[in-house]
Amino acid sequence: MLSFSRVTKIYGKQKKRRPAEGPRFRREANEARFGRLAVDDFSLDIDTPIFGFLGQNGAGKTTIIKMIMGLLAPTSGTIMIDGTTSWDEVSKRKTGFMPETPYFYERMTGMEFLRFCSELFPVGRVRDEFLSGLLKKAGIYEARDYEIRTYSKGMRQRLGFAQALVNDPQYLFLDEPLDGLDPIGRHDLKRSMLTLKAEGRKIFLNTHILYDVEEICDEVGVIHEGKLLYAGRVKDFCAGRPLEERFVETVKEYNRKK
Amino acid sequence: MKNIFTILRNTVKLEVRDKIWIALLAFGIGYVVIMLFLSDLVLRELPMVKAFALLGIYFFNAVMALFLGTTSFYRDVERKTAYFVLSKPVSRAQFLLGKFFGLCAVVFLTSVTLAAAYLAVVALAGGGFDAMGLLAILMQFLEMALFLAFAIFVSTFSSSLLSVMYTSVIFFLGHVISSLVDDARKIGITGIRYALVNVLYYLFPNLEKFNIRDFAVHNIAAPWASFGYALAYALAYIILLLFAAIWIFEKKEI
Repeated sequence: MLSFSRVTKIYGKQKKRRPAEGPRFRREANEARFGRLAVDDFSLDIDTPIFGFLGQNGAGKTTIIKMIMGLLAPTSGTIMIDGTTSWDEVSKRKTGFMPETPYFYERMTGMEFLRFCSELFPVGRVRDEFLSGLLKKAGIYEARDYEIRTYSKGMRQRLGFAQALVNDPQYLFLDEPLDGLDPIGRHDLKRSMLTLKAEGRKIFLNTHILYDVEEICDEVGVIHEGKLLYAGRVKDFCAGRPLEERFVETVKEYNRKK
Repeated sequence: MKNIFTILRNTVKLEVRDKIWIALLAFGIGYVVIMLFLSDLVLRELPMVKAFALLGIYFFNAVMALFLGTTSFYRDVERKTAYFVLSKPVSRAQFLLGKFFGLCAVVFLTSVTLAAAYLAVVALAGGGFDAMGLLAILMQFLEMALFLAFAIFVSTFSSSLLSVMYTSVIFFLGHVISSLVDDARKIGITGIRYALVNVLYYLFPNLEKFNIRDFAVHNIAAPWASFGYALAYALAYIILLLFAAIWIFEKKEI
């Protein structure tokens, strides 16, 4: 189970400009004084096969996924995976991560990159047949011996997905995995996610593409300005209405109340 | 330890595929080999051949260390390639050390290749096996390792361009600071000005400790104690810089 307990993230103080005076600028003034609040007192337990995290750009989705992976430290609060801190080595052994818009070592081949990633786990070197299988599943096996700099954007996304699976993880964290993929690529990746779900793995998916969430996610979390506005089943959230309509309504309602 | 070695090997693999490394190495070898022909045409004397060749090797190694030290680590962090590594069971210290030792290995490979060319040129020019020349190149490598540690340390908190500037300043100061202290003493500077020069002397690395090219050129045996002292000095400085770099990198939000 993935558990967030009162997680808050404040980025460093804004030093560049002096905020204007008055209540209208309170948020700006607070940011200037205390830093930018990216995640606000976030608590949630996730134990569903595919959990989709929905939010606008800058809502705090990537910050949360980076905190899970230990790339950012929360200002306060804890994130646990099966009772262990998520950035602990024990947790990292059973997680896979695909960053948003992945940047690779351009002069490596796809196969070399997967081999390198697999060697970073304590189990030692993974057999090439297993890695070849991952590349086949990702649909880039034919390009395995080409340098990554020759890969298209879609091929990079597929390689990013494949590298997240080198340790046969129990938990998979994907940050905008379907971005930049063509329709066939999207279809293939979604099918792969459903296969992983059938194998009993848990997937945590960051996206702002509502259609994908509706199609493959069991539960959804809506985040806006670092606050969790909803978490639960997709069907319950939609209540018979289109997801887009419900999402916009939820965000607008929050903005009105603020 | 295994993770450090994996990152080291990966760093070497990537850097030696870089066209800039290949070009610099080719230029370096070309430069050393040209000394052989110049010895017939202009230089005439063996010490001159050795002096120019050793200086050339030093120059190419320094350019290589500056280029690698200020770009490789910074690029991985800035372009977020490090996400792939740090999301695995790899600590930031392991990542940084792996990069450092990998870059040292690349510079060592460069030094060994240029040393081989140098020894061949000196032998062909009638100088036999130049053991002191080899030691001088080894000392240069120690300096480059220190140089790399400083460049990586600076890269943990500044941009690539600024790292080049800071590292170049250290390179310059590291070579003139011991002369400055000597000169200050000779001309009788005292008080706060002398104290300031001394602060600079102890603050910046004294890179002249690694310069035994003059001994090598004139084939004079340098005192063994100076090698031991230089090695201890380099190790102490490198460990200090790497500790500081790890401390900053652990706190850095990437």
